[in-house]
Amino acid sequence: MRRVLLPLLIFVLSGVQILHAQSFLENAQINGSFQTDAQYYRLDEGIDITDLYGKKLGINGFGKVNYSYGNFSAGMRFEAFLPELNGFRQELNGVGLANFFATYDNGFIGVTVGDVYDQFGSGLVFRSYEEWSLGMDNALRGVRTIIRPTQGVTLKGVYGRQRFFWAPYNERDFAADDYRGIVRGVDGEWDLNQSITSMNDSEFRVSLGASFVSKKQYDQSLFYYIPENVGAAAGRINLGYGRFAFSTEYAYKINDPSAINNFIYKNGQALLSSLSYSQKGLGIVLQVKRTDNMSFKSMYTATQNDLDINFIPPINYTHTHSLPSMYTYSTQPNGEMAGQFQINYTIPKGTALGGKYGTKLALNMSQVNDIVRDSVMDNGHLVLNKKGTLGYSSNFFAVSDHRFFRDINFEIDKKINKDWHVTAQYINLFYDIATIEGHAGAPDVKANIGFLDVTYKIDKRQSIRFELQGLWENEVHKGYEVNEDEKKDFQKRGDWAAALVEYTITPHWSFSIGDKWNYGNPVPEFRDHYFTGTVSYLHDATRIMLSGGRQSEGVVCVGGVCRTVPASSGVSLTISTSF
Amino acid sequence: MKKLLSITALAVLLFFAIGCDKIDNPHKPFIPVSGNKTVLIKDFTGVRCNNCPAAAETVHELQHQLGEDCVFIMSVHAGALATPTGKFPDFTTEEGTIWYNNNSSNPLFSVDHVNLTDGNAFYVGQVDAPLNNALAEPQLFSIDIENTYDEATRRVNVENTFSAVGDCDGKYYATVCLLEDSIVGRQAVQGIGIDTAYVFRNVFRGTFNGADGELVSDGPVFYDDNFVTTSTMVLDSTFNADQCYILTYIYDYQNGKILQTEMKKIK
Repeated sequence: MRRVLLPLLIFVLSGVQILHAQSFLENAQINGSFQTDAQYYRLDEGIDITDLYGKKLGINGFGKVNYSYGNFSAGMRFEAFLPELNGFRQELNGVGLANFFATYDNGFIGVTVGDVYDQFGSGLVFRSYEEWSLGMDNALRGVRTIIRPTQGVTLKGVYGRQRFFWAPYNERDFAADDYRGIVRGVDGEWDLNQSITSMNDSEFRVSLGASFVSKKQYDQSLFYYIPENVGAAAGRINLGYGRFAFSTEYAYKINDPSAINNFIYKNGQALLSSLSYSQKGLGIVLQVKRTDNMSFKSMYTATQNDLDINFIPPINYTHTHSLPSMYTYSTQPNGEMAGQFQINYTIPKGTALGGKYGTKLALNMSQVNDIVRDSVMDNGHLVLNKKGTLGYSSNFFAVSDHRFFRDINFEIDKKINKDWHVTAQYINLFYDIATIEGHAGAPDVKANIGFLDVTYKIDKRQSIRFELQGLWENEVHKGYEVNEDEKKDFQKRGDWAAALVEYTITPHWSFSIGDKWNYGNPVPEFRDHYFTGTVSYLHDATRIMLSGGRQSEGVVCVGGVCRTVPASSGVSLTISTSF
Repeated sequence: MKKLLSITALAVLLFFAIGCDKIDNPHKPFIPVSGNKTVLIKDFTGVRCNNCPAAAETVHELQHQLGEDCVFIMSVHAGALATPTGKFPDFTTEEGTIWYNNNSSNPLFSVDHVNLTDGNAFYVGQVDAPLNNALAEPQLFSIDIENTYDEATRRVNVENTFSAVGDCDGKYYATVCLLEDSIVGRQAVQGIGIDTAYVFRNVFRGTFNGADGELVSDGPVFYDDNFVTTSTMVLDSTFNADQCYILTYIYDYQNGKILQTEMKKIK
């Protein structure tokens, strides 16, 4: 009997397992994406590339797959940098499973194990994120728990260690280059409109939030007591009434001496506020920001764009055309006073200026200055930013004369008729290139920039787009005297012109040719052309793009975080797809 | 539910309490170094590097606290930010560029060449721990520097005597360097812009015997063995002989690690 029952039981149980497995596959959702960016580099003496340093080819690629079934989801991302493209950190070189996670969330409780991406409020005390174009990933490997005890209340906790390229997560050698501390944080958010029945449909909207994040690091210093637990707290409020919205967040961090702030023991603080108004055809935004000593990294010795626990949001306009985006602002973590004002207005359809389709106008002004720092007493002496002291004192409302950046721009976007569409923008720019890009002693960039972007629809399938751009510096241009040994700091300075023609056959093909010409560089040998030609093919969610030509030196910035892109010449291929 | 919220609130309060260390007095008590092991810090710096002066100040502070007879600092101008532009002075050297090999920023530091061969020099905040380790190591050699200087020809003759103070086995090389102290010139400084009267400390000016130096011993070495090397150099006419020093270090050729360093003023 037993001989019969046992195989029967095994057979039945196997059947149940198979049914479960089938259900797990058939009723699940799977999505993902793949991308490969490759570039073949070539020597190009015309733009001073006389040595490739042994690297003819760079490839960055990733593939990620996410699976979800009911309350369960899981995913992974595989990355390869073989070797990394020029301009990306060398530590990326390698291949492997970079991220993975599993989440169970039933609405009341959600638990994630593995690599966690999340943000508390606007990120002033905690944000873990990944930005492929920067080669940046500070995912927290550990655990995240979310509890929603009642309608409108969300409590969150995170605990883990940040990704540092390919460094192991279990590094126990405190003196190792890749050692970093543990990050732990809690956040609570209360949406009063959801919690309080009488406010459910109110035009007045309120939500409150608070966060606390702490890092646990190891004191390696021989001479200074480095705090092994550094905490940062933030409180935020979001208010809305009708068409008005106001949000503000204040963050405070206790003593956090680090290589970024020259090992001073001053507390840090940040304030970010935003007031906006919107109605059909009109949007107005006013933002202000003050940061003071708010670099917050999971290891106090880190000095580059890595191991950031928090994120200081930039409040500047994001330009997309090549010449306006040549001088993009990079956040200064040790202190900023910034403001931005933006107004968008659409001249209504059917008016003299609005025409048949309306006319969109946008004005944006933003400026960033340094904070004011005053000396402090240390052992009877006045010191300023001295290591092992409180560093400095700073009046919360004082603005330094040292201006980092200013951008005033005005844009018109007009659909003239069903065939023609025109966008034009003027930008007045101030850019402290010595501070932002480290070109010590180089004069500030003071420039006027403009572009015209015109699209003509040939027929239902074909269109052609033209771009004309110009950048004119006020002081540095042809005739500006540059000493022989100063030339390196003038690689991309002076006046520029750029033009591009793009021909598109929907839904698959696009062809473009373009040129950027640094015709007004004060150094004659830098007056180079940067020709590019691009062919791209789109099929559903798959895109293949092949381009060739020259790329000028510059910076790529996303959210105020930047990486330098060296000048290059060659052929590049991008393949991306998603499902 | 109330119990859950109470537990959560308690946990958060506890987290607040343990999550912050407030430091009232940042300075650790000074612990004098015992033993005769000396350490060389190479400060890879640049005249156009904004952050270099503060970093240099930091390591000099370390040296001051540990003792100037056991920690030596040599400012090696190398890397993109050391390449001068305009009126910035040129302190770059062929040997400095060789030592800097595979690194890509300033300021960076090597402590007795640990990690340097991998192209992983230290940031300023990382110097403490390897410095501590290096000072704690046993001394294997002592170095005695003797020299002559001829004012008329500006020729410097150096005789180095390396005495073993313990038994060891390996291939040992020595490099003899020339340093010039207290040079005044232009330097980029964070928060100031350009300091036109910056005082450059212990600037590496070149070697007497090449970046890799010369062979001292190959094979087993026993206590009290002595090895002598001699070298010579004519000082550049722009160098101030009153501020010039000879710095000699002996190192293990297999791993590049410096075993002992000594320094002596030329005049």
